[in-house]
Amino acid sequence: MSRVRLYLSNDTSSCAAGTERLAEAWRQRSGIELVRTSSRGAFYLEPMVERDSPEGRLAWCHVTADDLPRILAGDGGIPVSTIPFLSKQTRHTFVSFGMTEPLSLEAYQAQGGLAGLRKARQVSPSAIIEEIKTSRLRGRGGAAFPVWKKWDVAATTQADRKYVVANADEGDAGTYCDRMIMEGDPFRLIEGMLICARAIGAGAGYIYCRQEYPAATVCLRAAIRAAGEAGWLESGGQPFTIEVVSGAGSYVCGEETALLESLEGRRGVVRARPPHPAQSGLYGRPTIVSNVLTFATIPNILARGGAWHASLGTEGSRGTIALQLGGRVKQPGLLEIPFGLTLREVLDQFGLGMADGARLKAVQVGGPLGSLFTDAQLDIPICFDEFAKADAILGHGGIVVFDDQTDMLELSRHLMAFVADESCGKCVPCRIGSLRAREILETIQSGQATEADLSLLTELGDTMKATSLCALGSRAPYPVLSALQQFPVEFRSRVRS
Amino acid sequence: MKTPLPNELDEILTRARPAEGAPPNILRVLHAIHDVCGYIDPRFIPAIAQSQGVTEADVAGVLSYYPSLNTQPAGRHRIQVCLGESCLANRCDRVVEAIQSKLGIDLGQTTSDGCFTLEPVSCVGNCAVSPSVRIDGELHGRVRASDVAGFLDRYR
Repeated sequence: MSRVRLYLSNDTSSCAAGTERLAEAWRQRSGIELVRTSSRGAFYLEPMVERDSPEGRLAWCHVTADDLPRILAGDGGIPVSTIPFLSKQTRHTFVSFGMTEPLSLEAYQAQGGLAGLRKARQVSPSAIIEEIKTSRLRGRGGAAFPVWKKWDVAATTQADRKYVVANADEGDAGTYCDRMIMEGDPFRLIEGMLICARAIGAGAGYIYCRQEYPAATVCLRAAIRAAGEAGWLESGGQPFTIEVVSGAGSYVCGEETALLESLEGRRGVVRARPPHPAQSGLYGRPTIVSNVLTFATIPNILARGGAWHASLGTEGSRGTIALQLGGRVKQPGLLEIPFGLTLREVLDQFGLGMADGARLKAVQVGGPLGSLFTDAQLDIPICFDEFAKADAILGHGGIVVFDDQTDMLELSRHLMAFVADESCGKCVPCRIGSLRAREILETIQSGQATEADLSLLTELGDTMKATSLCALGSRAPYPVLSALQQFPVEFRSRVRS
Repeated sequence: MKTPLPNELDEILTRARPAEGAPPNILRVLHAIHDVCGYIDPRFIPAIAQSQGVTEADVAGVLSYYPSLNTQPAGRHRIQVCLGESCLANRCDRVVEAIQSKLGIDLGQTTSDGCFTLEPVSCVGNCAVSPSVRIDGELHGRVRASDVAGFLDRYR
């Protein structure tokens, strides 16, 4: 009798939700073959087990080890294609997630992998950049800078060496799509870096991966080894090396110039710009620093054409966005959709509203530096320009939903304390400003503050916004001031008159 | 007085010495030592500085900058509680309280028997199944305060 093949995600969050326990419990069972795949991103269903059927994959959700007989009997599985959270998405970068084994070169190619790189190798470096220009891709790490412009600067700057650096320091709390790519589809990142290397003429690449992601680091190193053995790692007829470098717990190292300092082994202190890294980056050489998701978006653009990418999304925000739902929402998980749905539509259609018994109070988009939205503000379309108009950021696509139990003053203090801890110290507005802002918030908590302290907090915030060297200091006041503006009673009721 | 160096450290420093003309990389050496020892004894700073051709202040500066480089040995088991926003929204404060009261230590402290060190971490990227607690290498998701006692007993 042939063995029944069962698919279990090996993603860190799936394992934490229980797939690892299932794998351990079933490892010795006869009659089954366990295949560890990437994750579908529908984490609210984990631990989830899948098996093949004539109608495609069937899924069993919230599985315990005792469910095995039921699964083997084919009893109760639902077709994955009918899960609305997944079927309503438009997956391009995350298309093979949940299907394949992350380190299988064959599976990667069977899903269309390497088509982009092949295309890139058939055309000139300037034609690659032209394709990216046509795609109107903007960086996915937070700054949303047009990708082609960076590449063009690096390509046209004369230098003895150039570098490609993947920013895998996914530090924004509430985000995890880079982790999923590195653990679940590492060859896509590598392919994107190779295309960039060819476009700008780089000979070496680095992936700066945060230390909090040990599984991603292991997976990337294995993928780089496999890609090297398969002969993929070359650019312009020369070997192209890729090295994974571990961070050491510093949030600001996700800022591109601090990241370069850290890659060079120093304190992760922000550099003043210009020059931008594309002109003078790692060791003073032209360097493309882009987010993992940005690199992972590149192969499809080359394979399917820039015009295809530009046909998705909204006027200023082309393509798809990877949103990561977390907090008190009913269905937390990863979704990839074209830009343009409103925040409310995303929370309703994918998040399916609030967790049982919870009532929405505020939604933070874009990590710890992202602005807070109240229920009345959720009709904002998800795209760069609308968010910029609202003094908000999409950042790296993290969406955290807070319920009505949340103390907004304490949340504000927490966020400002985080910035005070993580400030690199180079510029005064951030180094001193975040500390003073935290102190004011603590004074309010202690009941000792006056109205003057609230004015001071606002004034301090405005100074930080206007004068900080990087986004850590200039964005830090936004969540706090948006909390103060939208939940004034929570602050003012604790202020002495 | 010269700090005696274990053989392992000598070996790491020799391997990490920059090639002729190549730039030093302090963080890389510190990682290498941390991986072996679990912490970096500040008494090693002069030897590290010498091996990299940099000043002691350069090494001390990098060592003090990065939160995950410890300068003292941690407990046998390292408990990291995530304080990221998704974990906060899902009441990780209750989990932290449960761990603190079970172990009788605060964040950043080690139990007197040297068994556990309790550390805060700002996000482990497990936001969709939060709150998160990592004990040594093992990550636990959807942790409730009532789970804590059972978890910790397994490590005693």
